[in-house]
Amino acid sequence: MIIYVATIVVIVIIITSLIAVFSKKLLSSIISMGLVSLGVSGLFFFLQAPDVAITEAAIGAGLSTAIFVIALKKVKKGETKDEE
Amino acid sequence: MKNDTPKVFKSIFALFVVAIFMIGLFYAFVSMPKGWGVNVNNRVSRLYILKNVRTATRLLDSGKFFAKGMKPLRAEVPYKPIKFKKTANLEDGAANVVTSIVVDYRGFDTLGEVTVLFLAASGVMMLLFGKRVKPKRKKTEPSLIMYVGTRIAFAVIFLFGIYIFVHGHLTPGGGFPGGAVIASGILGLFLGRNGYTPNHAGLKVFESLSGIAFVIIGLIGLFSVKSFLANFLPTGIIGNLYSAGFISLIYIAIGMKVGSELAAVVDSMIGDTKEEWS
Repeated sequence: MIIYVATIVVIVIIITSLIAVFSKKLLSSIISMGLVSLGVSGLFFFLQAPDVAITEAAIGAGLSTAIFVIALKKVKKGETKDEE
Repeated sequence: MKNDTPKVFKSIFALFVVAIFMIGLFYAFVSMPKGWGVNVNNRVSRLYILKNVRTATRLLDSGKFFAKGMKPLRAEVPYKPIKFKKTANLEDGAANVVTSIVVDYRGFDTLGEVTVLFLAASGVMMLLFGKRVKPKRKKTEPSLIMYVGTRIAFAVIFLFGIYIFVHGHLTPGGGFPGGAVIASGILGLFLGRNGYTPNHAGLKVFESLSGIAFVIIGLIGLFSVKSFLANFLPTGIIGNLYSAGFISLIYIAIGMKVGSELAAVVDSMIGDTKEEWS
C-alpha cells in the first residue's frame, strides 16, 4: 500500500520540479518549488527519517518559499522604479 | 586575468584548474583507507550502530559479530537488553539515536553548523542594511480574520517549536527544526499586520546569549571531563525527560539561536530600507 503512495508522491515531485524549471512566471516556479519540498519531506517520512522530514517541511516548504516570494516582490518593485 | 585575453586561453585555463581538481579528488579517493582499515570500534561501539537488537544478541552469542582481532569498546561490560523506562545509562541515555549522534558524538560539527547559519544571517543583514523608510503608496491592510488568526496561531506554533527542541532527545526533532518552526510563526505575525516590528534588542540578546551558552557548555565539558563538548551530566533512564545529560540544554540553546536568527532574516527581508552605500 505504502509503495503506491510513495510512487504517486515521486511522480508529483517530478512534475512539479519540471514546472519549476520550465515555467515562464517566476511566482509559479517558486510555488512549485515549495511543493517539491513538501513531497520530499513526505518521502523522508516514508523512509523512516522523521528528523529530516520535520526540518525539510519547516525550512524548505515554509520559510524559504516565503523568503523567495518576498525577494521577488522587492525585485519587481525596483524594476518599476527604474522604468519611471 | 584581463578581459581582453582571447577566449581560447580562458577556456584552457579553466580546463587546467578543473583537471587539477579532478586529479586531486581521484588521488584522495584512491589513497583513502578501505573500510576494513578503519576501526569503527574506536569511535562508536557496534551495538550502538545496529538497529536490530535481536540480531545483535544472536551475533554476539555466536561470536561472529566482531572481526578477528577486534574487541568491542566496552567488552568488559556484560550485554543486557534495552528496556524503555527501565534501562539506565545506555551509551548516553538518549531515546532518539539521531540526536545523541548529532549533539554528543559530533557536537563540534553542530557548533560549525550554527556558525555557518550565523554567517549567512549576518550576510543577509549586511546586504539589506539601511535606514527604515515608510512606503510611498499605502499598502492594503490585511483583513481582520488574518489579523486575529495569525495571532492565535502564533501561540500554538511557538509552543510546538519549544516542544520540538525541548523533547529533542526523546522524539524526532531538535534545535534546528524547532527554531525554524518558531521563525515561521513570527513570519505569520508579519503577514497579519502591516508595520509589525519585533523587539530588535530582544532578538539580539537572545541570539548572542544562546551562542555564548553553547560554547560555555562545551568549555565546562573541557574542564571537567577533559574533552570539548563532552557530556558532564548524569545520563539517567531512557525515556525520562531528565535524561541524556546535556543534550536538552544544548538543544535549547540552538533552538533559541536559530529561531531568533531566522526571525531577524525575515524581518530584514520584509522591511523597506533606503540604501545607504557610500
